[in-house]
Amino acid sequence: MTKDALLARLADAVISGKPDLAKEGAHEVLKNGVSPMAAINEGLVKGMSVVGDRYAAHEVYLPQVLMSAHTMYAGLDILLPAIPKEEVADKKKVIIGVVEGDVHDIGKNIVKTMMTAGGFEVLDMGRDVPISTFIESSEKEKVDVVAMSTLMTPTMDGMKEVIDGLKESGYRSKVQVIIGGPPTSPTFAKEIGADHRDANAQDSVANLKGVFK
Amino acid sequence: MNHMERAMAALTNEPVDHLPAYPIACGVNRNLLPGNVTYHEWCTNPKLFADAFVAGHKYYDFDFAIGLMDLSVMAGDLGAHVRMDEENTPFVDKHIIHSVEDYEKLEVPDIKKGRSGVILEGTKIFAEKLKGEVITAGFLEGPLLALTQTAGAERVFMDMFTNPSAVHAGLKTMTDYDAQMVEAFGKTGANGLCWDYLWANYSCLGDKEYHEFEGSDKYAAKLNRMTVENGMALCIHNCADMPHLDTQVKEFKPVIYSMAYYPLIPGSPSASEVIEKGYADNCLIGGNIDPQFFIRATPEKISKVTQDLCQEVKTALCKRGLNSRYCVASGCEVPPDIGTKKENIKAVVDTTKKYGVVKC
Ligand code: B12
Repeated sequence: MTKDALLARLADAVISGKPDLAKEGAHEVLKNGVSPMAAINEGLVKGMSVVGDRYAAHEVYLPQVLMSAHTMYAGLDILLPAIPKEEVADKKKVIIGVVEGDVHDIGKNIVKTMMTAGGFEVLDMGRDVPISTFIESSEKEKVDVVAMSTLMTPTMDGMKEVIDGLKESGYRSKVQVIIGGPPTSPTFAKEIGADHRDANAQDSVANLKGVFK
Repeated sequence: MNHMERAMAALTNEPVDHLPAYPIACGVNRNLLPGNVTYHEWCTNPKLFADAFVAGHKYYDFDFAIGLMDLSVMAGDLGAHVRMDEENTPFVDKHIIHSVEDYEKLEVPDIKKGRSGVILEGTKIFAEKLKGEVITAGFLEGPLLALTQTAGAERVFMDMFTNPSAVHAGLKTMTDYDAQMVEAFGKTGANGLCWDYLWANYSCLGDKEYHEFEGSDKYAAKLNRMTVENGMALCIHNCADMPHLDTQVKEFKPVIYSMAYYPLIPGSPSASEVIEKGYADNCLIGGNIDPQFFIRATPEKISKVTQDLCQEVKTALCKRGLNSRYCVASGCEVPPDIGTKKENIKAVVDTTKKYGVVKC
C-alpha cells in the first residue's frame, strides 16, 4: 500500500469511528516506515477535522463525534510513543477540566479532542475539578495552557478563583489561561484575568496555534 | 380572570386578560418557608417540597405549578451516587454502568422509596393544596435522560454506536420505571405531567438517533400516551439550545411545551420564530427568559427583558392569528441558588401582568 493510501485509511477509520481499523492502520504505518508524525497529522487528525466540521454543520452528532474521538485516541496510543524524542520536545502542554460544581463535560471533551488533534498534549482533569487541583497540577505538570470549561452560571466564579490562585502561586505569568462554555464571554474573560475565551473547539485550537506560533 | 381561567384560556387559544406567567421557580421557593430550609431538606422531605410550591404560588402569583426537583432523582434511586450538598442542586457523581453487561442488570427500584417516593408524595400534597387555584403538574425524567444520568452520557452515546442492543436494554428498564411513575403520578391529582426529554437537541443528537433511542413508540411515544391514559395532560420541558421541535411539538402533541432560547447560538429558535413556524398553533409554548438573569440581573433589567419578550410574543401571536398560547416563563429552572433574587422572580410576573395584554 502506498503512503497516501495508508494515511487515507487512518483518516477513514476516524471518520467512520472504527477504533480497530485505526489500530491496524497505525501498526501498518509503522511497519511501512511512514513517519508517525505524518500518520497523525495527515491521517488521524485529518479525519478528526472532517468530523469536527461535519459536527459544526449538524451533519453528524455526538455519538459519531465521540466514536471518532475514541478512534483517534486508539491510533494515537500506538503512534505517539513512536515519535522520535526530538520531535516531541516542543509540544505544548494543556491542562483542561470542568470547574468545581459542574458535571457538564461533553463540550470540554470535544475541546480536548480537537486540541489533541491540533498537536497539543492534553492533560484531562475531568469534571467537577476542585480549584486547588487546577492550581497545583498546573505547576506540577509545568503546563503551558490552563483551559477551563463551565456551562453553569453559579460555577463561573470558580474560574476566577483558579486564576487568583495561579497569581498567588506565581505561576500565572507562565501560562495562557483560556476559558469556554456558553455562560462565559470575552468580557467575562477579561474581567477575571483570563487570556482568551472561545465559543467552540475549532476556534480555540486556532487561537492557541496563533499564540504559540 | 383568575389563574385557572387564564391558564385554560391560554391552553385553548381563547383571549386572555394578559399572558400567563410562570418562571420555573421550584427549589428556590424554599426560601419563602419558615426556618431556613436547606436545598437538601427541601428535596428529601415531601412536605417541605410541597409547601415550597404552595408558598411560591402565594407569594409570586404564578399561573402554574410544575413539580421539578432535579435530574438525579431516578439515577439516585437506581443506585448511582448522588452528591447532596446542603445548598446546591444534587448531581450524580458516580455512574453505575461500567460495562456493556451492566445495562442488563438495571432494575426498577421501589418507587415508594427514595426520592421517587418524595417527589410522588410531595406532588400529591401540592396538587391537593393548589387544586382549583392553578394548573398543577408532576415532573419526570425521560428514559434517555434517566439512562445517561445513570450510565454517563458519553458512555451511552458511544454504546449507541457500538452496542445499541445494550442501550436498548437499559432504555427498556428506564421506560418500565417511568411507566410505574406515570401510573403513580396519575393518582396524585396533578392536572398534567411534564417530561424532561432534553437529548432531543441538535447539538447532541440528530432526528435518527433521537427517534431510535427515545422518540419511538417503545419509549417516549408510549409514555406520552400513558400520560394521557392516566388522566394527565402531556407537557414537555426541553432546555436545549436546538430542540427537535418537529418531533416534540408536532409529533408528540403536548399541550404545553417549555423551552429555552440562546441568542448567541446560531439556529436557536426565538419566541417569535417558534410562533411564526406554527409550533404554538396547537400547543401552549412556555419560554424563554435566561435563567442566569434571576441571579445576575437587576429587577429593572429583568423587567425590561420581560417587557421585550411580551412585545415580541404579542406581535408574533397577532401575525399568526392567535389569541394567546404563550406563557412567559424562564427557559429552564430559576436557579435555586441562595443568590437568586426574589425581586427578579416577582418582576417577571408583574411585568407580564402589565405588558402581556394581547390586543391585535
Ligand atoms: C446535556 C445537558 C446536561 C447533562 C450533562 C451531561 C454531560 N455529561 O455533560 C445533564 C443531564 C447531566 C445535565 C445536568 C444539569 N444541567 Co444541564 N444541560 C445540558 C444541555 C441540554 C446541553 C449541554 C451540552 O452538552 N451541549 C453540547 C456541547 C457539545 O456543547 P457545549 O458544552 O456548549 O460545548 C461547546 C462550547 O461551549 C465550547 N466549550 C465548552 N467548554 C469549553 C472550554 C474551553 C476552554 C473552550 C475554549 C471552549 C469550550 O466548545 C464546545 C464544543 O464546540 C444544556 C442546554 C443546552 N446548551 O442545550 C443544559 C444546561 C447547561 N444545564 C443546566 C442546568 C441548570 C443543569 C442542572 C443544574 C439541572 C438540574 N436542575 O439538575 C444539572 C447540573 C448538575 C451539575 N451540578 O452540573 C443549565 C445551566 C444554566 C446556567 N447557566 O447555570 C443549561 C444551560 C440549561 C438551561 N437553559 O438552564 N445537563
